Amino acid sequence: MRLVCAIVLCLCCVPLSQGQSSVQAKHANLELLSTQTTNKSGDILLGVHFTLEKGWHIYWINPGDSGQPPSFNWILPAGAAAGEIQWPRPFRMQNSPTIADYGYHDEVLLMVPVHWSALPQAGSKSEIALDAKWLICREVCLADHTRLTLTLPISSGNKTNRASRLFAQAKALLPRPWPRQWKATAESRKDDFLLTLTTRKPLVNVEFFPLDPGLIDNAAKQRAEKTSTGAKLVLKKSDMLLKPVSELRGVLVIAGHAYQLRAPVVSQVALK
Amino acid sequence: MLRLSRFVTALFALLLVTAALAAKVGDPAPPFSSVDSHGKTQKLADYRGKYVVLEWHNQGCPYTKKHYESGNMQRLQKEWTDKGVVWFTVISSGPGTQGFVTPSQEDQYLEKMHAVPTAVLMDPAGTLGHLYDAKTTPHMFVIDPKGTLIYDGAIDDHPTTDQADIKTSKNYVDAALTEAMAGKPVADPATRPYGCSVKYKGY
Repeated sequence: MRLVCAIVLCLCCVPLSQGQSSVQAKHANLELLSTQTTNKSGDILLGVHFTLEKGWHIYWINPGDSGQPPSFNWILPAGAAAGEIQWPRPFRMQNSPTIADYGYHDEVLLMVPVHWSALPQAGSKSEIALDAKWLICREVCLADHTRLTLTLPISSGNKTNRASRLFAQAKALLPRPWPRQWKATAESRKDDFLLTLTTRKPLVNVEFFPLDPGLIDNAAKQRAEKTSTGAKLVLKKSDMLLKPVSELRGVLVIAGHAYQLRAPVVSQVALK
Repeated sequence: MLRLSRFVTALFALLLVTAALAAKVGDPAPPFSSVDSHGKTQKLADYRGKYVVLEWHNQGCPYTKKHYESGNMQRLQKEWTDKGVVWFTVISSGPGTQGFVTPSQEDQYLEKMHAVPTAVLMDPAGTLGHLYDAKTTPHMFVIDPKGTLIYDGAIDDHPTTDQADIKTSKNYVDAALTEAMAGKPVADPATRPYGCSVKYKGY
């Protein structure tokens, strides 16, 4: 009897999730990060930090002509729910005249908000697990997946200082809301969309990243023309676009600053 | 920073123009003449009166592997060629890139995988790929007996590398051929193809 009790006790001591918050994967290192040092907030931000080997990349929510964005499956304590990935502005990856993708090189922190409907008890620990899947490519593509775990709250120190810096950098790369005094409209023409931006001053270095696949030709050069009140951008339509669209959504980057764009589409009446 | 020579700039421009002229669904499919892995010249015009499927392929790509290691692509090839469809697997990988194979390597692969396309078109220069603006492996095209392009896009509606997704996926090639053969319009004629980028020569 005593032996059985001892064995049961030992089994109870084994942690249920033996995991790591940092994993070396194929051509990438992944870390599950948080800046959460107390249990006092019901809304926290977690982050998956990818450090990529030189030349390798992962993809944005709209990967472009090829590729696939990372996907996260969270295993959270009761009462906690994860929101959507907060995507930093993407970068264009174009290695050929006809194929262009959107994603990230070198490193990227993908932040995810987590909401607790009931705060965990003061002093208690919360186990967070993440099953992450992603595609990582250079001249070839590799599908990879891993499990990352984290126990909250974490103790403050060097790790949280580094995490805070990474979160701050990632937040700076999030597309900001479109300024209310600015305007954006798109005209649907035969082969392209003419995006007119009215921002009160001439714009240079403008680039559009579409949120919805299949609307614009990702590989086509975006012809931009600065105007006295902003800029005009010609976005070639995708061959896949067969029906009219009411809106162009995406990220507009102006000289390195990223904005969330939603431009209503006005169809040109092309009757002869 | 790449320093583009004038030749490469001209090639770039030519490819852009070719892609711009690439057919849309509903248009006549671009005619082609391409050499297969047995050295035979295959012309689209020779198959007028039949349905033709073009399947862009790279045996190393995880998305291609999803459909081959599961037997899904072979199942499609067998079912549809049994019904008189002409199935061309196309390899547009440039020399030295992933997916590039010699004809005998391709024969070995077909035997090992029990793949049964009508023929494998060897396109290392990327001519056929650029003609159709093939972007991914797999990227599927269906041409009807009149020579009209009736489908251009993904093999199915689950853009993942997981074999487990195949059984719950809507297969767009099955759908397009079934609908067209029944005289109905193709419900999803153009979808976003998914896969690895085609490894064109020079890039």
